Amino acid sequence: MMENRGNAIIEIQNVSKVYRSRGALFGLRAKDVVALRQVSLKIYKGEIFGLVGESGSGKTTVGRLIVGLEEITSGDIFLDQENVTGLKGKAMKAFRRKVQMIFQDPYQSLNPQRSVLDTVTEPLAIHRIGRSSDRKEMVHKALKAVGLSPPEIFFYRYPHRLSGGQRQRVAIARAMVLNPEFVIADEPTSMLDASISAQIFNILLKMRGTFDVTQMFITHSLAAARYLCDRVAVIYRGKVMEVGSGETIIHNPKHPYTQALIDALPKFRSSGAIQRYGTLLTEERQVDLEQVGCPFYPRCAVADETRCGRETPELILLDEGHYVACFQL
Amino acid sequence: MALLEVEDLCIDYKTKSGYLKAVDGVSFTLEKGESLGFVGESGCGKTTIGLGLMGMLPPNGVVRKGRILFEGEDLLRMSAEEMRQVRWRKIAMIFQAAMNALNPVQRVGEQVAEAMLVHNPSLGKHKALKAVEELFELVGLQTDRIRDYPHQYSGGMKQRAIIAMALACRPALIIADEPTTALDVIVQDQILAEIRALQKEFNIGIIFISHDISIVADMCHDIGIMYAGQLVEYGPREDVFDSPAHPYTRALLSSFPTLTGKKTDLVPIAGETPDLVHPPKGCRFYDRCPEQIPLCREKVSQWVALSPRHKALCCRCEMDGR
Amino acid sequence: MAEETTGVEIKGLERYPLLNAFLGGWSIFKQSLLGKIGLILLIMFALMALCSYIPPMVDPMYNPMTGVDPDITDSTGPSLKHWLGTDFMGRDILSQLLAGARVAFMVGVSAAFMSIVLGTAIGMTAGYMGRFVDTLLMRLADMIMVMPTLLVVLILAAVFGQLNIWSIVLIIALFRWPGVSRIIRGQTLSLKQRPFIEAAKVAGASHFRIIFRHIMPNVLPLAFLFMTFRVTSAIIIEAALAFLGFGDPGTVSWGMMLQWVWKTGHMFKAPYWLLPPGICISLITLSFYMLGRAMDEVLDPRLRKEDQTD
Repeated sequence: MMENRGNAIIEIQNVSKVYRSRGALFGLRAKDVVALRQVSLKIYKGEIFGLVGESGSGKTTVGRLIVGLEEITSGDIFLDQENVTGLKGKAMKAFRRKVQMIFQDPYQSLNPQRSVLDTVTEPLAIHRIGRSSDRKEMVHKALKAVGLSPPEIFFYRYPHRLSGGQRQRVAIARAMVLNPEFVIADEPTSMLDASISAQIFNILLKMRGTFDVTQMFITHSLAAARYLCDRVAVIYRGKVMEVGSGETIIHNPKHPYTQALIDALPKFRSSGAIQRYGTLLTEERQVDLEQVGCPFYPRCAVADETRCGRETPELILLDEGHYVACFQL
Repeated sequence: MALLEVEDLCIDYKTKSGYLKAVDGVSFTLEKGESLGFVGESGCGKTTIGLGLMGMLPPNGVVRKGRILFEGEDLLRMSAEEMRQVRWRKIAMIFQAAMNALNPVQRVGEQVAEAMLVHNPSLGKHKALKAVEELFELVGLQTDRIRDYPHQYSGGMKQRAIIAMALACRPALIIADEPTTALDVIVQDQILAEIRALQKEFNIGIIFISHDISIVADMCHDIGIMYAGQLVEYGPREDVFDSPAHPYTRALLSSFPTLTGKKTDLVPIAGETPDLVHPPKGCRFYDRCPEQIPLCREKVSQWVALSPRHKALCCRCEMDGR
Repeated sequence: MAEETTGVEIKGLERYPLLNAFLGGWSIFKQSLLGKIGLILLIMFALMALCSYIPPMVDPMYNPMTGVDPDITDSTGPSLKHWLGTDFMGRDILSQLLAGARVAFMVGVSAAFMSIVLGTAIGMTAGYMGRFVDTLLMRLADMIMVMPTLLVVLILAAVFGQLNIWSIVLIIALFRWPGVSRIIRGQTLSLKQRPFIEAAKVAGASHFRIIFRHIMPNVLPLAFLFMTFRVTSAIIIEAALAFLGFGDPGTVSWGMMLQWVWKTGHMFKAPYWLLPPGICISLITLSFYMLGRAMDEVLDPRLRKEDQTD
């Protein structure tokens, strides 16, 4: 598949996720929802990997499967070459010390009844790290690292007394306090204003810089991914369409879907004429794709009707580190 | 005569700890067929301006002072009934997440027709449905979807239906408050293109409210940057974005990730927005301003004209200008 | 890097979240007329309960159960010696009334507390575990919920003879948890979906920790709200039982007093004896109810939110 660039810290192989419909009601049976189709990705040590997609593309599902919030339907996930699919009990707890997650909505991801100190101390208490005096020290350090300083004044605050940006920083501190190897940030700034988002981005960059934390950044914004990520994967309807460096994806997109996405983004402060790829069909093809075919086929202007609707393209290496899943190259 | 002329608009919200000055001394004009965009972060008062123009402030909101001249008439002096005549007929609004405003148990086409009939009862149901068909074509919805229910529509289609509803009475002014925030980029692009085309076709004035600079830059001729209830910079989009004068505008631009252009580090704005119940005496951006001077703290900022149509509310700009 | 050195001092109250929350709640509570009346009434009854220890200390003849005025052999009206009069045996009605307040509090609060503890535990377990545990517990709750409490207690009393006051409390608690558990289960179900629970899971928290550290603090306010309503129903059930003659014969409760009035044929002859316990039962249940309503307002998230915006 992909060439070996250093060590992959997280590798997911042919991961699929199907949401089975709940039991039949009055003989009607809802269709199973395929959230992910044979997704394979490698995330290397020390990088920030961006997963970009629209709502319903399955980008959040990838993150939730990795941290074990949802069960995988088929495929395997490896952490440091070790298979961590479907861990239970002690092994799961050990895994959770290494892999953490930052959630989308900071207004929902903090327990309203617990103070900042309680919240950030909790992971340490769960994994029995340090004595209580040491823990306070660690929380102090973590809060300082996310720019909540002086940390003491935040210790006994409750979430409702914090601004959105402050809450998200507390959530980051909670994820980082365990010194994890890998952190998934699931749209951590989608509920925040631009100036506050920039703060969060900078904190994530700093985490990578000073603590060498590998990260997966899940987002709907290619622009944000460009600033934060070393490599970016574009996902559409549960299938990875293109993988490459942020600049490659933005300036030299090869997949028609990525091109349509770039077309659609407002070109703000751009210099020079804007060239559009025009890969989006105005009228969707009425096809029932089910499990085969390129997910973008119904809306693709350059599709080959004999092939794209019947076969599923796999990611192929185009340039160094640039993978595209499309027959029409 | 300008389509809309707002002078020194001040809107307060009554809260337990006092009056929150949500909009403070905002003035602007909008010509027929032009578009004006308000950009700012949450709590800056941009949504309140929209609600104020529509006369749809929440119960604890009051217009403290100012004038809103729409086609030469002061909306604030109108009676409730007169205002009702103006609303939707002449000024329509596309709300934030308006697609959730559709009634789930009524066919979409009927809802649009009903909105028309409320303001024009003489039309008759049959004619109204006929008009809905035209509207659907106008906003790019297939006419055979008229009899569908909202849950059969995608997010983008619902938003198009809402736009159809706003256009039903051929208003002269549309206030669009984050009309595409909940939509995906491809759909957003289509909707924005639709709005642009309709604006051109019917010569509608648009006030576009968004937190997303890139969308506003794409959509509007004139831009107003808002901070803490005040308009801090106002002018044609090229001037505001190419030579931003107010430190807040500059800070906002440098914190915004862009797709094209040089990739520079994002610079966040430190600190938090001021308390609007007891706003600071001087410049409201003083605490967070990287270019602050002691004068800004005390002196009430004045408008400085940088070019005939480009102005900023900043002491520093005033000094530099001299 | 955005360092926030706003230089805010830790305000005294912030270190004491419970006290802080209490004061926040109190400021809303204060605005409720219903709550204030309820609270004043309740304080009155609490004082009565405390005062119940005084008369027997003054003279043994004021003992509500066993103290008999040797000079009196039948029920008499109010006098200087017996402010509210005496019952058929010459026992002092005032001291009985005061003792009744004590019993009402004891029965009401302890039965309500037990049913809340039971209901909260079962509701949280059912909501959090889901699947068959949920089904099993909720069917059980349904079954108990449709049983008429009073009737069942009457049957039990008939089978086991006289019940003492603690068995009555226990029975009331055992029959009054299902309503609470349904509410708590619903709340747990919605909490379970919240990202902060998922965040705790990702941090490695056990089910036990999630239930007790994350869900419980969020359902407790609701549980306590229900407790005030449960107190009301427990007091009424106890009074009804006592009046029907199935109360604890060794305890002076207001229901018991009413039963004595009725049994000795003084129902329409001795208003000084009939009215005080009747009024007291009505007022104490009313006061708990009003308190509950006011608490409801305190806990209403909409009112809370408004409180936060300023």
